[in-house]
Amino acid sequence: MKVTKTVAIGGDTVPGKPVAARKPFSIQQWTIIPSILFFVLWEIFSRINGSIKFFNPNFLPAPSVLFQEAIELAKTGIIVDSIVSSTIRIMIGFTLGCIAALVLGVLMSKFKSVEFWLSPVLNLVGPIPGLALLPLFIIWFGIGEFPKVLLIAWTTFIPVLVYTLDGFKSVPSTLVRSALSLGASERQIFTKVMLPSAFPNFLVGAQVSLGLSFGALIVSEMMGAKSGLGYIIVDARNYFKISNMFIAIILIGLEYSLFSYLLKLVERRVLAWRRGGLREAVQK
Amino acid sequence: MKLEVSNVGKWFGDRAILENINLTVNEHEFICILGHSGCGKSTLLNMVAGYLTPDQGEITVDGNLIDGPSKSRGMVFQDHALFPWMTVLDNIAFGPEVQKMSKSQAKETALHFLKLVGLEQYASHHPGELSGGMKQRVGIARALAGQPDILLMDEPFGALDVLTREMMRVELQKICSKLKPTILFVTHSISEAVYLADRVVVMKHGAIAEIFEVGIKHPRASHSAGFGDMMSRIEHVLMDEEQHLELATAKVGVV
Repeated sequence: MKVTKTVAIGGDTVPGKPVAARKPFSIQQWTIIPSILFFVLWEIFSRINGSIKFFNPNFLPAPSVLFQEAIELAKTGIIVDSIVSSTIRIMIGFTLGCIAALVLGVLMSKFKSVEFWLSPVLNLVGPIPGLALLPLFIIWFGIGEFPKVLLIAWTTFIPVLVYTLDGFKSVPSTLVRSALSLGASERQIFTKVMLPSAFPNFLVGAQVSLGLSFGALIVSEMMGAKSGLGYIIVDARNYFKISNMFIAIILIGLEYSLFSYLLKLVERRVLAWRRGGLREAVQK
Repeated sequence: MKLEVSNVGKWFGDRAILENINLTVNEHEFICILGHSGCGKSTLLNMVAGYLTPDQGEITVDGNLIDGPSKSRGMVFQDHALFPWMTVLDNIAFGPEVQKMSKSQAKETALHFLKLVGLEQYASHHPGELSGGMKQRVGIARALAGQPDILLMDEPFGALDVLTREMMRVELQKICSKLKPTILFVTHSISEAVYLADRVVVMKHGAIAEIFEVGIKHPRASHSAGFGDMMSRIEHVLMDEEQHLELATAKVGVV
């Protein structure tokens, strides 16, 4: 509906429509520039450091060196393997965590007794960082895939649940009232009013916990794994291959950005009706 | 259909919000409840809707006690309370749909009421894209599509600007002359009440101060015979003695 507007802001060029003629040049359209500048500065610094040696040049390889190393590493197949296994872990763990949180959120707001029994327990275990549980999970479940996925799911679960519950609690009472006065049953109010009204909060929770889930993924791969981006880091530490560490770190960053972007796409699709923010407040 | 409020009282803690309210609303009647903010008029409406229960007395429809909200009493809210994730048409179709009408039939009904408020070209828009007056029109259409026996309106035009307000009251009057619904309408605008109502119930400090029968023929206008007279009579009841005094001195000051 509002696509036509966002196109101009997003900077996508529509074939046949001269963008420059419509809008004067604006640095805002070149969001890639700061990132490029960052890598250029890094490159320059590393090269200077390479000749005058502020510190051991091996500690901070230049991006161009990293790129060559990455190609070498990719030839062994380890990069693709790691990305695939990390992606599978985070996808399963994150999805399970989100689903569990949504289901429990629904149950807890629908049935008072569920909330009564679970809420104090969750308040007790919720604040414990999931990572503290990892050694325990490994002892209980071994070093297979299960404890890793479980850790990711658990780390995702708590924040999503908190946000979802908050979403259910903050459904405007006039919405419920108008549904009641239109003849909706309790069940219909839940599925047609409460759920869609709380859904934006659920998505915010998912966004927030995505970062935490990635932390859990990497740490679980650093402890007792044979593949994955976290594994590359530990492996590189053991052989003092600092360039490999950087490669893994950059890949983690890229993968996180990709997932975050996918989640944003879902949000934009599902919440097309939501408008607001600075951009809507002042349109230029 | 006959709504009867008999001897109703409501307390919030020790404070009496309403006391000894007696009111009968007959079928096809348009009743305005008029009063200052905090006089208990919205509380009364919420009790009729079934959101609140009276602490004293009872409210009945055709002799049946009201025990909770029901589709027979539709509500229009001041903040419109439209479902923001639904399109305008889906909002209006909500009532028919939850009342077990088939989807296509519900859409048809919704479209009928959307046409009634003159917004058919906005069917696929979301409420966030509409102006305040349009949202309120959708709110009215949604309440009407639920086929209520009585329509309750809680300061529906209170959040609108003066010009839109004037337009909305004309439109509501047109709708009323077409559908002849029963309406209980809460407002704090005297001119709005005199323009719309068959009877104006003036409330003061949690009690009914006086009920005025507005015998002016529709469509009314501020220059209709008896309009100004009715307004000043209501204003006289509504204002306390000291307020009259204040108003008088203020007028002197301006002159």
